[in-house]
Amino acid sequence: MPRAVLSRRTVLRGALGGAAVSLALPPLEAMLGRGLGFSAPPPPRRFGIWFWGNGVRLEHWIPQGTGTSWTPREELAPLADLKPYLNVLTGLEVKTATHPHHSGMAGILTGAPFLKLGTTRDTIVSTFATKSIDQVAADHLGGKTRFRSLEVGICRFRGSDEGTTFQHLSHNGPNNVNPSEYSPARLFQRLFGALPRPELAAARRSVLDLVVQQAASLRATLGPSDRRRLEQHMESVRAVEKRLRQAEQACAPPPPARDVPDVNGQEQIEQQNQIMTDLLALALVCDLCRVFSVLFSTCGSGVIIWQVGARNGLHQICHDEPLPQPTVHRATVFTMQQLGYFLRKLRDTQELGGNLLDSCSILCTTELCEGNRHNNDEFPILVAGRAGGRLRTGLHYRSPNRENASKVLLTVLRAAGVPLTEFGTAGGHVDSGLSAIEA
Amino acid sequence: MRCHCLLLLGLAACGGAVLEGEPAGRLGPDITPAPATLHRLTSLQYQNTVRDLFGSWIQVPTDLDVDTPLHGYRSIGASALTISERAAEQYEAAALSLARQVFGDAARRQALLGCAPSAPDDACARSALLRLGRRVWRRPLQPDELEGLLRLSRQVAASLQSNLAGLEYATAALLQSPHFLFRVERGEPDPEHPGSLRYTAYEMASRLSYFLWNSGPDEALLDAAERGELLHEAGLRTQTARLLAAPPARAALAGFFAELFALERLGHVVKDAALFPQFRPSLVEAMRQEVLRQVDELVFVRNGDYRDLLDGDITFVNGELARLYGLPGVSGPDLVRTQLPAGRRAGLLGTAAVLSLHAHATLTSPTLRGKFVRQQLLCQDIPPPPPGVTTSLPPPTGRPQTVRERLAQHRQDPACRSCHERMDPLGLGLEHFDPIGAFRTQDNGLPVDGRGDLDGTPFEGPRELGRLLRGHAAIGLCLVRQLYRHATGHLESAAEEAGVQALWQRFVRGHNVKELVYDLVLSDGFRRASAPQ
Repeated sequence: MPRAVLSRRTVLRGALGGAAVSLALPPLEAMLGRGLGFSAPPPPRRFGIWFWGNGVRLEHWIPQGTGTSWTPREELAPLADLKPYLNVLTGLEVKTATHPHHSGMAGILTGAPFLKLGTTRDTIVSTFATKSIDQVAADHLGGKTRFRSLEVGICRFRGSDEGTTFQHLSHNGPNNVNPSEYSPARLFQRLFGALPRPELAAARRSVLDLVVQQAASLRATLGPSDRRRLEQHMESVRAVEKRLRQAEQACAPPPPARDVPDVNGQEQIEQQNQIMTDLLALALVCDLCRVFSVLFSTCGSGVIIWQVGARNGLHQICHDEPLPQPTVHRATVFTMQQLGYFLRKLRDTQELGGNLLDSCSILCTTELCEGNRHNNDEFPILVAGRAGGRLRTGLHYRSPNRENASKVLLTVLRAAGVPLTEFGTAGGHVDSGLSAIEA
Repeated sequence: MRCHCLLLLGLAACGGAVLEGEPAGRLGPDITPAPATLHRLTSLQYQNTVRDLFGSWIQVPTDLDVDTPLHGYRSIGASALTISERAAEQYEAAALSLARQVFGDAARRQALLGCAPSAPDDACARSALLRLGRRVWRRPLQPDELEGLLRLSRQVAASLQSNLAGLEYATAALLQSPHFLFRVERGEPDPEHPGSLRYTAYEMASRLSYFLWNSGPDEALLDAAERGELLHEAGLRTQTARLLAAPPARAALAGFFAELFALERLGHVVKDAALFPQFRPSLVEAMRQEVLRQVDELVFVRNGDYRDLLDGDITFVNGELARLYGLPGVSGPDLVRTQLPAGRRAGLLGTAAVLSLHAHATLTSPTLRGKFVRQQLLCQDIPPPPPGVTTSLPPPTGRPQTVRERLAQHRQDPACRSCHERMDPLGLGLEHFDPIGAFRTQDNGLPVDGRGDLDGTPFEGPRELGRLLRGHAAIGLCLVRQLYRHATGHLESAAEEAGVQALWQRFVRGHNVKELVYDLVLSDGFRRASAPQ
């Protein structure tokens, strides 16, 4: 990235020096920004999604009061200290609701109805009809960094019967997914593994060039749908090839991350969340990527949140537990605690010009309102980050008239710098954002 | 749903009539076959394939992309999904590792090359790449494809100053090419059906081998393709017989049944440790093996009637599983063939694997058990509840309730009833078996009522349900349908339905799974294609 001023990469490398991970940037900023007369480049625009499955318990979710004077109820209490970086949006509706989980997942991540796969079964197996909004953002923000986008997963449960909608978050299009990484060790290797020697990297690039040529010849002989699949393959191979051009690490590597084993058959969700969050924050501050998604749990997830006393999968508890569903409520509180760790980590990671939350536009959401009803009105939505000043924060916005939830998608994308004037299709289409939170 | 079944039965009658007039050599009525497509290797297929290519010594890459099953099968997901950036990275690392393992060892390198190259593109290099390329891409390389690999070999040999390095990287290129990572199927004009396509001989070699071995074709199968034998019934029968007789066929068929019965999910099933301390990984593995051994015995040892799986009383248990079942006289970790005593437990629905899979951590789930029977064994899908319907059960009344009592709500509320009445009564007949499949007489301190019904016909316990299913009109058709989906890697379209029905017409003669495999391989749905879409 040639620039007139010191590149962010250089600055950060200086900041990290050896193996230290914590970034003490304010003194550095003083030294470089003012002391030496450089004008530091503004932090990049960043976009993210933090998703959890199975909704919330509404009576504990909607804050008391609106505007700037709101107080959280129990399920948002774990985020209370993050209020200056947070908007709570209530009363909005995904307008394309036809089937539980599928509609809300596709609706809130694409602004469109889901795409049903197959015509000869009575059950719903679905994928996204269009790319998910993280990939819309990556089209604009992903080109300058080593990774176009990063996808990480926390709770391991993945559905198996219902299509990509229940298994993955990030989609480049129908049946074209970016699977989430669940292994901290593998994510670490990807982000901070040793780079190959230049002559070996060159040999590998020659191989990849040939693979792309082979794919291009093959592509010409295929029908339209396989052509699209092969184009994605080619694009993926080119991305690997591009990464091999990189001659130096963006940051000194932190100590290696290890996978988190179960203890007595129980998933260590908090530890997994912390390790993946820490790696992601480092990837952002090192500018390895500007677009990310965290799939805390899949839509309709059957994760057992034993930490709150759950003994069965969350999806099942949403269906079976008598009202007022205290276990579902406690599971939501637990989930918001994990989101709190994530947001706090970004808030507390400093870089030139602020912290990571200052530059991020993050949609935090789920696939329905309440799991026992599968309703898509009162959609639970949080928007975190100030997007470099393009988002107003600290608000509880309550829609007076069940506005289309796609408005939020348009707003968070625009805040990340994606120049859109409309978004979504069919009932999910909107041509205006949520002005209440746009700065 | 019920209308759907009747419709299928109606069609079946027609299918039988059409069969009479078919020309010899092709089974079944005319159908519009599925479009030719690319089938990505599943992660297990990738691993099996490289092990067969290089030998059992090879350290098979494990850092591979996750499979995304669709409609219950990995093969269907593999025919629809593509290769993400992350997957491309993983494939690159895997290809480099494999090539390094071969070229880093003089003896193994020599075994692969069969000669010592004196230049990166000499006759030795050419013959080695042609031979390896045919196995890796499952067809002969075209001249321009060979030239591309030799060019790469020259380029890398020059920059790394090593002829062998050139061939090593050319090998890595073969192993991350779309021609390896995807089974490429484009078809060719079908002389028997002008205007339509059939799979080429080499495409048939891969279709056969990934269906029957879940791995790539061996030399003999590629040779049969080269001779054009796989375009004709006799050649297909010969190769099907050869493949079915080899050990990988047993693993591949077991893999199908493991997906059909969702056995792989067993590893993720969690039970409440306080209530079920015996539900340890070793017991869970025995549960899984029990079903697979039943399938293997049925298909490969007895070559028997598929429906015996539903109500048979021969099974395989080790000490742990025998304790769970209350069977005396079995100990140790190895599964031994055992006759179940007369009683409620028999057949697939009496296995701890199926009973555990379709139950919660603390409670049974008659709903999930019923759904398993409907969806997996009868192919009767249950639609999801409509949005806005409250699914939470009523609060406890203060006195202990059985699961049966709690579920009564499902069948009283009209919004729930239409679907739940198809599932719950089936599962309620299995209530004598707890969440890990042990026999019980009490639920929550109250006596168990283990009566259920299948569409109005009463039964009690897995043995009786198995017997009812044995006689159910949909049972054979459903297995045919499931195997067809798995084998062809797609959900059958309405335009293929007559072909599925025709396979069923033959299957019901003896419900013999191997015969079904032959019929399927010989059917139009497996051999013919429509133009790619």
